[in-house]
Amino acid sequence: MAAANPLITADAIEATEFMDLSRKYRVTGVPKTIVNETIEIMGGLPEQDFVRAALDLPELQ
Amino acid sequence: MGLLSGQDETVLKQHLSTISKPVQLVLFTQAFGGSETGQVAKQILNEIAGLNDKITVVEKNFVLDLEDKAKYRIDKAPAIVILSDDVDTRMRMYGAPTGYEFVGLVEAILVAGTGNIDLEPETMAWIQAVTTPTHIQVFSTPT
Repeated sequence: MAAANPLITADAIEATEFMDLSRKYRVTGVPKTIVNETIEIMGGLPEQDFVRAALDLPELQ
Repeated sequence: MGLLSGQDETVLKQHLSTISKPVQLVLFTQAFGGSETGQVAKQILNEIAGLNDKITVVEKNFVLDLEDKAKYRIDKAPAIVILSDDVDTRMRMYGAPTGYEFVGLVEAILVAGTGNIDLEPETMAWIQAVTTPTHIQVFSTPT
């Protein structure tokens, strides 16, 4: 996503190495994704579902 | 002894052969007070760089190289910044890139080195429509 839009930054964080951050974001399982400190996505999702959730786009009808 | 097996190297070399642009892997480590994973990260990056001459590793000191730290907005180490032909891809990896993280690193290198983003056209359109700064943090573990 970062490669596709210069406004997006993507960090992959090793959860056990950065325990303070893991605690801050309540990482109890992986993968866990945090977007702009507000959106939380638990687990892996199919591509479109993930991007919709990350960008807070409305659900498809 | 290398971290990658001979078989891993052969497969990886084949994948990396599709790279057409120079890729710089900027590694921030902390010599004192840092974790051992910085050294693991360094070894992994050097082994990857040894498989393709378009890939280079640039090592930075997390404590001393303040200008670079600010430039790439690095707030923790070890950190890997992936550049495509000296341009920041805004893809970062924090911690040693082992296990699943290693796969992610290789995919990021391929995106940086080929310019190819393997997403569906519709998904790509949604991403390109983003008009505000967006910070994505993905937490994972090696296994």
